[in-house]
Amino acid sequence: MAGQVRRRAAPGQASSHRERTYAYLTLLPALLIVAGFTVYPLVYSVYLSLHREILTDPLNHPFTGLTNYAQVLGSYYLVSSTLSTIIFAALAVPAVLAFGLAVALLLNQSFAGSAFLRVVILLPWAMPAVISGIVWRWIFNGDYGVLNNLLSSLGIIHQYIPWLSTPATARAGLVVAQVWREGPLAAIFLLAALQTIPRELYSAAKVDGGGGWSAFRHVTLPMLRPTLSIVLIYETIVAVVTFDLVYVMTGGGPGDATSLISWYAYTEVFKFVNLGHGAALAFLIAAALVVVILIYLRALRSEELY
Amino acid sequence: MSDLDVLVNALNAGRVSRREFVSRGIALGLSTTVLGSVLAACAQTAQKSGGPVDLTFVTWSYGIDTIKSNIAKFEAQNPNTTVAFQDFSWLNYHDTMVTRFVGKTPTDLAYSSDHWLQEWAAAGWLAPLEDHFSQVRSYRADYFPYVTSGMTYNGKVYGIPYYADTWAFLYNADHLQRAGLSGPPATWDELTEQAKTIKSKGIANYPVILLFAQDDPGSIEVWTSMVFSRTDGHLFDSSFHPVFNQPGSAAAKTIDWISGSLRDTKILDPASLQSQEIPVVKGMESGAHTFTILETYNQAELNNPGVNKLAGNFKMAPMPGETQGTVGYVRFYAATGQLINRGADAVGAAGKFLEYFGGKTGDQFSPVVKRWAVENGLGFGWKSLWNDAEVKTAFNKWGDSAMLQKNQELARAKDGLTKFYPSWDVFSRTELQKAYLGQVSTQDALKAMADKWNELQKA
Repeated sequence: MAGQVRRRAAPGQASSHRERTYAYLTLLPALLIVAGFTVYPLVYSVYLSLHREILTDPLNHPFTGLTNYAQVLGSYYLVSSTLSTIIFAALAVPAVLAFGLAVALLLNQSFAGSAFLRVVILLPWAMPAVISGIVWRWIFNGDYGVLNNLLSSLGIIHQYIPWLSTPATARAGLVVAQVWREGPLAAIFLLAALQTIPRELYSAAKVDGGGGWSAFRHVTLPMLRPTLSIVLIYETIVAVVTFDLVYVMTGGGPGDATSLISWYAYTEVFKFVNLGHGAALAFLIAAALVVVILIYLRALRSEELY
Repeated sequence: MSDLDVLVNALNAGRVSRREFVSRGIALGLSTTVLGSVLAACAQTAQKSGGPVDLTFVTWSYGIDTIKSNIAKFEAQNPNTTVAFQDFSWLNYHDTMVTRFVGKTPTDLAYSSDHWLQEWAAAGWLAPLEDHFSQVRSYRADYFPYVTSGMTYNGKVYGIPYYADTWAFLYNADHLQRAGLSGPPATWDELTEQAKTIKSKGIANYPVILLFAQDDPGSIEVWTSMVFSRTDGHLFDSSFHPVFNQPGSAAAKTIDWISGSLRDTKILDPASLQSQEIPVVKGMESGAHTFTILETYNQAELNNPGVNKLAGNFKMAPMPGETQGTVGYVRFYAATGQLINRGADAVGAAGKFLEYFGGKTGDQFSPVVKRWAVENGLGFGWKSLWNDAEVKTAFNKWGDSAMLQKNQELARAKDGLTKFYPSWDVFSRTELQKAYLGQVSTQDALKAMADKWNELQKA
């Protein structure tokens, strides 16, 4: 009997084996692409971070263990660029969220041209970051910038201000450019979330005597919380890894005022041609981001809203 | 005969270029890997057969139309050689080239600079020209000393000058006249006094503008020129040990002068810290500033009546300071290690290219050398080119050839040209800006620069 069962099962097992093989084979191209473009670079970066990899010394790549990590962690520039990044993120992320929310609330109203505005508002986000950077560098130029011209013609300033030549105004300029570039995306996310909030909740709030601010605080904001969390995490990641605006607008200056951590990693690789330091820095940045995101997720754990 | 065979035969016969071969191969459904292998095999065949040669030539983005026209003329004279030309921004040129070299992107000939020679040669990315192009040795005697220094690594010459210029002190003579000043300043203190007078008379709010943008490689050359102009204006001793960090050094005095001009006397435009070459030139052209330090060829632009209504007012003077020294630099044509590995035909074609673009036969300079000098006012590395009447006349239209020549004789190559100079340069630009802004003291900035130098030297 048992033998019969085994004999009967054999064709089924063969078929199941063929199916498994077929499944693996069909997955293989995708797996190879993922391995080629993600796993290999990642593994190679780990290798780089554990070796002395200075491009100008191409024949000397000894294994150095965690030396690159230790050197990077002990560097003054890690401290300075981390501080600059924290200041930048602390200013830019809330500003992007506030801008996005304000625009979303505005576009959620029906008025003439609102449909057109919903499309136009995305333009700064769709523009390549390098172009945005060039535009803002020109706007903030100390000698012939549009901002100085505008403020001067309005009588607000009597002497042109070299916005990108002093640390405080250069940092502020970078934040403004970041808000201009990232704000529209946040606005579109939040607008989409606003449009899913049931109207009945506002009607109920009105019946209970809740007006504009009260409805915003007790209905809109709680209902937006999951989307706000996503936007907050996304914008924090974007702020921490911001590189292109720095590259085009300030080159990390004046001094090291706008040398964000991603700029520091870039200079280690391309200016100091030290791939080992650059790879170690990249892993440290990624690790720090994971910690920040975990903190966010824990702090903003949302109640069951939907 | 298969389609691939037909295509390979066409490539070997020179009827299609390498680029066309790849596009037609892809159209036939062949992978780039297969095409790459075929191209490599064909390249070896071509080397044996003395067939057509493709050269890839990379430059920074200046005078692109002139370069293209020079290439067209060269190709017409050398029908077996095709030159693929690519250009990249000067501001990102170092990083772009490092990426190309590391990624083994085909590059045969390229512009390089004394900034980067040691780094690129030490990595094997550039080849010593004198080992492969015998004519280079004979050129040496006719170069200004700073030109030879800037193109030499481990005793061998790696380049033929594309242009060789000096940093020069330029001023608006009309401003000086209106301020009642009899002539340009001879010292930095005198410059301060003159600028204060000009400022107080409302002629220029910020009489001085300097090229100090952190992302412009020229910024370290301006600063170094200011150091060279002072007594004991050296950054390193003969063993490459820093001397700039000693108290009271020329470097310290220079930083103090800049910082004071920026924050105390306010004669230096704060926008200098974000000003690259073009904004400085535009600032001078607009009449907003009186004094600057620029590459000498910019005087041609400033005094060009076609683009500037203040043309004719911009004069050159020796660098203020006791020695009047300045930085002389050389940007040059270099050959890559990749070129040499391609074999005799490619090297031979490159030799003709270098000769056409930067060489000299007997007393006859190549047409390209003279063209850059006459049409663009670019400085040159050859002493004897000053004997050319056409060149002298061209320079005298916008400047003073005697003054230009004197500046070249006073010029020195930058101190500390080593394989780690580019890294130290980038690091130092940040420290210098922090000192100018008063974020750190002069001595702390110089100490950080010296520490970085020692760290790089040990590594």
